[in-house]
Amino acid sequence: MGASKLEMEPFHRGAEANLFLSTIDSWKVVVKQRISKAYRNASLDDKIRRERTLSEVSTMHDAKAAGVKAPSITGVEAETDTFSMTFVDGTIARDCLDGMSPREATTLFEKLGAMIGLLHSGGIVHGDLTTSNIMVTLERDPFLVDFGMARRSSDPEDRGVDLHLLQLSIVTSHLKDASPLVKALATGYSKTAGRAIHESSWAKAREISRRGRYFAIR
Amino acid sequence: MCLGIESTAHTFGASIVNDGRIITNVNRTYRPPPGIGIHPRKASEHHVTVSEDVVAKAIKSPNGHQFHPDIIAYAAGPGLGPCLRIGATVARALASFLDRPLVPVHHGVAHLDIAMSLGKARDPLAVLISGGHTAMLVHLNNRWRVYGETQDITLGNVLDMFGREAKLPPPGGRSVEDLAKRGHRLLDLPYTVKGNDVAYSGLLTAAVNMFHKGAGVEDVCFSLQEIAFSMLSEAVERSLVQTRRDEVVVAGGVAANSRLREMLESVAKDHDASFYQVPVEYSGDCGAQIACSGSLAFKHGAKVSNADSYVIPRWRMDEVDVPWVPRN
Repeated sequence: MGASKLEMEPFHRGAEANLFLSTIDSWKVVVKQRISKAYRNASLDDKIRRERTLSEVSTMHDAKAAGVKAPSITGVEAETDTFSMTFVDGTIARDCLDGMSPREATTLFEKLGAMIGLLHSGGIVHGDLTTSNIMVTLERDPFLVDFGMARRSSDPEDRGVDLHLLQLSIVTSHLKDASPLVKALATGYSKTAGRAIHESSWAKAREISRRGRYFAIR
Repeated sequence: MCLGIESTAHTFGASIVNDGRIITNVNRTYRPPPGIGIHPRKASEHHVTVSEDVVAKAIKSPNGHQFHPDIIAYAAGPGLGPCLRIGATVARALASFLDRPLVPVHHGVAHLDIAMSLGKARDPLAVLISGGHTAMLVHLNNRWRVYGETQDITLGNVLDMFGREAKLPPPGGRSVEDLAKRGHRLLDLPYTVKGNDVAYSGLLTAAVNMFHKGAGVEDVCFSLQEIAFSMLSEAVERSLVQTRRDEVVVAGGVAANSRLREMLESVAKDHDASFYQVPVEYSGDCGAQIACSGSLAFKHGAKVSNADSYVIPRWRMDEVDVPWVPRN
């Protein structure tokens, strides 16, 4: 890919990577570069960045094969912890959720649930499923982005983490009542995940949410 | 003027806070023998023994002037039942003898209240790291919301339990920190971030096993700190990006570790957030946090009759209404 040779314009700063906009031929692409963290021990830092870049690229590709809407990989440069992917035009859910009508929001979450069901039944978990990592296109379709914590797993525990974190991100970042959104999410999820996965994943999500400190009843 | 009584775990403390200013803060901490954790009954016996003296000192100024508190606040939970009951009993007795209102306080909320008062924070991402909590919280819709926390044991537990296993002099946190300064080899220990939560039990077990198999204690301490703190720092960084706060406040006794502080400060700086860490004398459990929180809660109508002044050993941060945040 030769990310170093692309003309890049800063686009977004995430928790662990910088994103740039660029073009490869006529494709508008996003270049994602995992940056070194000053707080982290250097060898740990290198290990985490390399592992996550490689697993991100392969799980994102597998997710698409499972029917999930996600950007397509256009190039990888492992030695600089960089890869590029197709640009998805839209707004992140973190920014647009609170401005949506209740009906728009539940429709979005039902579609999202169906997509996560496909991901999970395809043997993949996202690992960082928050409203910051869901793009909403102009047609109001959800796209999953940022597969940095994603991995291949069919463990109900890992699926439960996805569902739990998505709920937490609504409760901590949005003014909207989470319960109708979670209900819509479950409706969509049940349609694509199949009954067995649906039941075990949500049971785990409930269990995980009660693992925190000082719950009176577990 | 509020008198606050703390007795959730190893510390019995009393403090006078007036108009947001800490006037006195007197604390005595139970220290178990090396290699042994806090026994709740032993700690409560310690609290009974010191309570009279601690309260007497707290309500007296250095020049002998006696304070007359308008409110009596006590830590109602979460914490060790036998210890909580000592503080509550002392508070009830004072409230009924002095005929003053009794205000129950959540110990964790109080950690954040004193941190925000001292640090002049308005609406921060709060990182609470103590023996009882390891959590990232933001205030939304009237309550502190936990965005990430430990799924098993706290960071305080990790350091204490490793210290006991390796027979280091208590408190474990300080011993591990001192030894870690002399270590430099990063051992291969498990790094577990699940979503925005961390899990520490596997890391502790692996570190203890490495120590027993003969790895140098300095290197184990160094690696334990690097991995455990990196996990937390990563979760804090993700929390900061998702919740978009521009202030980070770090509270709780374990926050005294200078390597951890350096890492969290670096995360905040990277995201242009202001950083505040509670000074050591107020970061551990103390009466001042309870007095500070009690004053705020009372202004917002919190009080309880003697008959209803229960203690709540298990009490989640996100079960408490906190209308005094964001601060003005």
